[in-house]
Amino acid sequence: MKIVKAVFAGFFAFALIVVLNTKLGDIPPLAKFLDPFQGFWTNAEPKEQNPDNNLIIVGLKGDVEIRFDDQMIPHIFADNNHDLYFAQGYITAKDRLWQMDFQTRFASGRLSEVVGPKALELDRYQRRMGMTFGAENMVKIMMEDPEIKETMDAYTAGVNAYIHSLKPGDYPLEFKILDYAPEDWKPLNSALLLKLMSATLAGGSNEFYMNNILSKFGPEITKNLFPDYPYREDPIIPVGTKWDFDPIKTPQTPKLNLSDKTAYTIKTREIEEGIGSNNWAVAGEKSASGFPILANDPHLDLTLPSIWYQIQLASSDMNACGVSIPGAPGVIIGFNQNVAWGVTNVGADVLDWYNIKFKDETKKEYWYNNQWNPVKPRIETIQVNGGQTIRDTVLYTHHGPIVYTSQQRPENFSMINNIPTGHALRWVAHDGSNDTRTFFMLNRAKNYADYRKALTYYSAPAQNFIFASAENDIAITPNGYLPLKWRGQGKFLLDGSDPANDWQGRIPAEHNPTVKNPERKFVSSANQFPNDPSYPYYINWEYAGYERSHRINKRLAVMTQATVDSLQNLQNDNYSILAENILPTLQSLVDTKSLNGLEKEGFSIVSKWNMHFNADEIGASIFELWHKNLGVQIWGDEFSDPKAPMRFPSRDRSVELLLNEPNSVWYDNVKTAKKETREDLVNASFKFAIDSLKRKYGSIDKDWEWGNLKSTNVPHLAKIAGFGSKNLYNGGSKTSVNAVSETNGPSWRMIVALGENVKAYGVFPGGESGNPGSHYYDDMVNTWSDGKLNELVFLKTKKEASKRIISTWKLKNK
Amino acid sequence: MLFLLIAIISLILQLFLPWWIIAPIAFALAAWKANSGKNAFFSAFLAIFVLWTIVGLIHTLPNENILANRVASMLTLPANSFNWLIVLVISGLIGGFAAGFSALAGRYTQEAIISSKRK
Repeated sequence: MKIVKAVFAGFFAFALIVVLNTKLGDIPPLAKFLDPFQGFWTNAEPKEQNPDNNLIIVGLKGDVEIRFDDQMIPHIFADNNHDLYFAQGYITAKDRLWQMDFQTRFASGRLSEVVGPKALELDRYQRRMGMTFGAENMVKIMMEDPEIKETMDAYTAGVNAYIHSLKPGDYPLEFKILDYAPEDWKPLNSALLLKLMSATLAGGSNEFYMNNILSKFGPEITKNLFPDYPYREDPIIPVGTKWDFDPIKTPQTPKLNLSDKTAYTIKTREIEEGIGSNNWAVAGEKSASGFPILANDPHLDLTLPSIWYQIQLASSDMNACGVSIPGAPGVIIGFNQNVAWGVTNVGADVLDWYNIKFKDETKKEYWYNNQWNPVKPRIETIQVNGGQTIRDTVLYTHHGPIVYTSQQRPENFSMINNIPTGHALRWVAHDGSNDTRTFFMLNRAKNYADYRKALTYYSAPAQNFIFASAENDIAITPNGYLPLKWRGQGKFLLDGSDPANDWQGRIPAEHNPTVKNPERKFVSSANQFPNDPSYPYYINWEYAGYERSHRINKRLAVMTQATVDSLQNLQNDNYSILAENILPTLQSLVDTKSLNGLEKEGFSIVSKWNMHFNADEIGASIFELWHKNLGVQIWGDEFSDPKAPMRFPSRDRSVELLLNEPNSVWYDNVKTAKKETREDLVNASFKFAIDSLKRKYGSIDKDWEWGNLKSTNVPHLAKIAGFGSKNLYNGGSKTSVNAVSETNGPSWRMIVALGENVKAYGVFPGGESGNPGSHYYDDMVNTWSDGKLNELVFLKTKKEASKRIISTWKLKNK
Repeated sequence: MLFLLIAIISLILQLFLPWWIIAPIAFALAAWKANSGKNAFFSAFLAIFVLWTIVGLIHTLPNENILANRVASMLTLPANSFNWLIVLVISGLIGGFAAGFSALAGRYTQEAIISSKRK
């Protein structure tokens, strides 16, 4: 009897320990996680932390000093570049190791190794898109450059020195939640993170929708609704700038030839706007100090830990400060004593789809250039957490991978809605490149010539590199590997068998659009057209709307005696050019007699609205819902077909229609017998806007305010509840310079005033630490939300005294 | 006595070893020192409950409980500023039960061995 009792109790206790040590579904292993000795409690960092420290780190060549300021931003001083990048790797890993690991896994399709089968299709997708293939090609090129090889190897060694110093109790929090251990860093991981930027900024495409539109409406309507240059534009290179080169021969546009008339069963995905950016620089003639001032705010999806990691890097041949990508060496956006630089996305068409004809079902050969060519299979092996190993074959043509053949395409996976079946992907992100060298050289740049030289190494994602120097030069260059194409190449799906459809090399780097010290004494960009139609090459047919850029240019044109404050004010500008353009017309079309009480009240508010998307404006909420719904009412009937998905014409084309084509056929809802007019739609969408706000918030009061409707928040990277920010109350919109929306917006705001002593300001929506248990995890969120900036600590020498330095780490080899 | 032994030895060994070391500690010490199943269970339960709560407090108080409150949200506890205390108590309870049942198994095993020797 006692034996039975003992066996039973023993078994029960043992089972309990096993269960409490095991991850069950998404629940972390409970006792392991809650254990105060090695579980999550040890990640709770004291508010007062990070005292002076001396560390012995094997792998350094000399001594390194890291000084931390009051926001825990490291300022690294090393004697040589090896030690500099080693220390950057080490300290970035200290703050952001899990983020680096997770994003690398996401990029390379290795998430299911840690989270199990639920990430399998996502992993397959990333692999089929050729993310690792591209990163491998990048590593090959980087490693052929001795200086960059040293940089990458040192950074990698630094990350690994940190990883090897950890015991399980020291692992970053999310490793404990997901119950896995960090693995050694590789240069490939850094390359993957750079490729991830390409996927975010240059990974979208419209070709399938455009093909379906062309099939349904024919070339004339397609050209009318989807023109190759917008109705209103304010290009980056000022109109009238002379192109200072003899263009090389560009390929002829073949006769319009639909490669594929079949419609694809893919659902419409709204083109995501919000991934964009602003930058500008004013010349010394326009500033109070007589020296240029540069501003940049790249817009991305907002996450915690922050996308960027602030850092100052100083060694024998450089001293630069700004933000880095956690996982990649160098400063990406920043400044040094002599120059400042920043980036916004170009939106070049660097991703095309080619229809592939196979010889037979075995898919071993494909037709190209009047002959059968071999397909190269690449086997992707995915070790799913839980034991299963999945092998996936991706077929590569000379264009690139065939992302999904009809047999390989999974059902109900929304991420691939925009991928045409049986098409090969030609994407600039697959090519090897040495982009790291661009930043390596910019970090050390002293003048305009250095900037121009650095840019020639940059490939993707193409960026508008803005520049200002203490020598009083300002410049901007839409830059990257821009394929040499015929006009309109890649607007529609391409026939993959015809060599005329291949990319014909690249636009020579020195022919990329650029302007230095223009007449107007400022340069700027906000993702709009790089050039007017006089530019001899084709880059893309559509870019982000012109509203932000136009507002920036209008304000900069009249600005004199500019200071950091005036540029900060422009970064926070909530004014909407879109509202300015259409609201008076919309208002004039509303039949006020037909409005009920609430609608009358709303109409009065929106009529008096100052067209600023400020947090406390109710007019902004009404306008936003109104014009959005109007777009759906105009285009939704013709451009929504579940069998042949399409996209809507651009906002620019819709504005042109509203203002200039009052009797257009597009206003009529083809699904009703009645013939609708522009007035009908404007009135119906206004009532819709008021009704939605009423249903959501009741009668008109504070709840209707824009800051409340928009409700910006910064979620955790893995969307873990409780690890994101609270809802923030702030202004901004996608058509305002201050492009803050629900979960995307300025991921870093920076202003650099050049001069004898460079002064810089910046903020990002997060904090320097990636640890949700740190007071420095989100300490900058409120500053960011309020539109304020922190003065950046920039130490000219290791010894320079600063009240804001709170501690110093000394790293020695022995 | 048993309570103190389990708490002190667990404190020392947990500095180096994974959390489950508390199970063999409680098992062995209960087999050696406990005078009843009840005594085994409650001594071990309390030892680990107290130990884990104190060590948890040492971590969370200087942190102003921000992490424990975030973890509470992750565990979908309704938001309030005392959530960290609930997480602390849950931690103590889980550790306590793990140790308590291990100690109970230890005591019963000892009883079984003694009774089989008597035969």
